[in-house]
Amino acid sequence: MAYKYTLELLSGIAIVAFCAMFLYTSATMSGAEFAGSDNVGSGLIAKLSGIPLENFQPLISQWEPPSGEIESCLFALQAAVGGILVGGVFGFWFGQARGRTAE
Amino acid sequence: MHIMEGFLPWQWCLIWWIVALPCLILGIYQLKKVLALDREALPLLGITGGFIFILSSLKLPSVTGSCSHPTGTGLSTISFGPWITAVVCAIVLLFQSLFLAHGGLSVLGANIVSMGIVGPLAGYGVYRLLRNTSVNIYVTVFLVTALADMFTYVTTSLELALAYPAETGGFASSFILFMGIFAVTQIPLAIVEGIVLTLVFKYILMLKPDILIRLKVFSEEKINAARSEC
Repeated sequence: MAYKYTLELLSGIAIVAFCAMFLYTSATMSGAEFAGSDNVGSGLIAKLSGIPLENFQPLISQWEPPSGEIESCLFALQAAVGGILVGGVFGFWFGQARGRTAE
Repeated sequence: MHIMEGFLPWQWCLIWWIVALPCLILGIYQLKKVLALDREALPLLGITGGFIFILSSLKLPSVTGSCSHPTGTGLSTISFGPWITAVVCAIVLLFQSLFLAHGGLSVLGANIVSMGIVGPLAGYGVYRLLRNTSVNIYVTVFLVTALADMFTYVTTSLELALAYPAETGGFASSFILFMGIFAVTQIPLAIVEGIVLTLVFKYILMLKPDILIRLKVFSEEKINAARSEC
């Protein structure tokens, strides 16, 4: 029982430390753009292959979100699908547990 | 960890699709079997899959000055094994390919191999190694979730280094360069993901220990011991 909330505490510390690390990095690292590592990786591919970045064309054509806002909206939608699943099931299980306690 | 559409030669796309497809078929078969045996596994699949949806949509900043996303595959790996996890990852990656232009259909096989197969397999190896030892359940869950995340990015580096060996130093030099971008960025993210998903596992353990026992995730004794610590 002495360690009842150890994981909650550790999670809180980890999240705060992560935020502090971001603030420190953004304040001290000049030129840090925080671009996606996928894009940075694509840049390295272009450098290693000697092929200019703009010459890489999709092998199978794909739809692209017309703006950054719509892309953010779709990412939020993806997170929302996950959130609904997680929240729905945990809610269902909490309800079941409460029902068992009431009996 | 997404390799972008058009950034992998077609020969490599084909090879990674050939690797991914049998794993997906095995995963679908196992999924049908698990759900036929125990319908109560479905909510657990919802939670573990839900975390893959959530975490893989979060682009978080890291120490290298770039952003990356966790994978969330560890919980599913522990609960259902790597093959079913590959199926859930394939759904997430397909969504991102079709609607977000992250990844793509030709490179989907390569992305499934890194996020859905090799990452979870590495985590599963650690889980099998520690499952029947005296190592605390929460330590096991932390290691599995953090390593499944890390190995996803190591695999992406490997896939790209194989396709694009450096002119001087060849594959090894290229692998180190890609690791510098993908794996180093991922270290703090993997640690935070490991801690947070371990906390989630604690709540699953508190609310539904019976399903974990029926799925033989851990032994009943270990689960009861972990519950008494909460």
